Amino acid sequence: MILPDRSSHTLPPDPVQITELLRMYGCNPTTVIVIRNGTVVPEDVMAEGDDLIRIVAVSHGG
Amino acid sequence: MVQQPGEQDEGCSICTKPAVARLTSPDRLLCADHFRMDCEERVKSAIMTMITPGDRIAVGLSGGKDSTALLLILTEILDPPGDVSLTAITIDEGIDGYREETRAAATNLTRQLGIDQIEISFSELYGHDLDAMLAGRENEACTVCGVLRRRALLEGARRAGATKIATGHNLDDESQSVLMNVLRGDLPRLVMDTASGYPDCFIPRIKPLSPLSEKEIVIYLMVRGAFPDLPECPYAHTALRGEVREMIAELELHHPGTKMNLIAARDGVRELFGGDCATDALPGSGSVTWCRRCGEVCSGDICSVCRVLSGLDT
Repeated sequence: MILPDRSSHTLPPDPVQITELLRMYGCNPTTVIVIRNGTVVPEDVMAEGDDLIRIVAVSHGG
Repeated sequence: MVQQPGEQDEGCSICTKPAVARLTSPDRLLCADHFRMDCEERVKSAIMTMITPGDRIAVGLSGGKDSTALLLILTEILDPPGDVSLTAITIDEGIDGYREETRAAATNLTRQLGIDQIEISFSELYGHDLDAMLAGRENEACTVCGVLRRRALLEGARRAGATKIATGHNLDDESQSVLMNVLRGDLPRLVMDTASGYPDCFIPRIKPLSPLSEKEIVIYLMVRGAFPDLPECPYAHTALRGEVREMIAELELHHPGTKMNLIAARDGVRELFGGDCATDALPGSGSVTWCRRCGEVCSGDICSVCRVLSGLDT
């Protein structure tokens, strides 16, 4: 899982709702886009170990 | 990925294809196609109250995500355009290492869509680029740039013969502005409606993307394959807006509908003050006058552009 600050984290092996991961890493779901394996998905879908999750911040300030 | 029983991702509420977004009010999951249609319908519904037949709309096009989405959606929902026409206005403030890419993106988009584009630079209009004007005063960047850019956009709209100026302000921008004006105690600015006040004096500004959140705009661009992953403005920092943005985002997470409620509250206050030109009744708002230096419409002796320019060592 790659966060907006470009840090990467290993997903847990068991399925988990992406919202839970966002909460764990301090991301507000209303301010980010979730891309799972290259596809935009709602933040409340599931992810697991071999998925590639990229979190994109929607706001760029200014 | 292997799905566990009972853990399948839900599909689009309309067609069951894979969803790209969950929206609230009403709660629904939408696939890429239906999400795109939903966004365009909401903007179409909003713009119908903002434009009239025969309008020539000057679209502020920076090349960033909001203005890119604005031009894409307007060409879509006004297609066939009928008797409403669009001209893109791109302002080159002169920000080294930033504006080159966004200008190129803006020009490519207008060529791709077949839309006329007018480019105006700060150097042409004010004699200096923004970088030169801000030397040693970078902390004033957003204020100075905002004031000068508004005038440049107005100049572009005049050159285009426009009857309306459309900007890419979204639901987040609007709700943040409402709260910022409240926090500053700035009632005239809260009530001021540039879409309809004093139509004889200036070109009305409209914000067709105001029904869409920043997140929805990014998803819209992504599903259309048009997300411009461009650099951030190096001057982008406004302490109060940043704090308000975070505050509203938290409230929206725990109380969905907060952003819309802020807009509704502002609209309610506007109605209480009697609508379009009622700002005359507010303390500090004053009547429309003309700047004694440049002759532009303003609310005092000297307009904000002349004040900004005279306060700078240019």
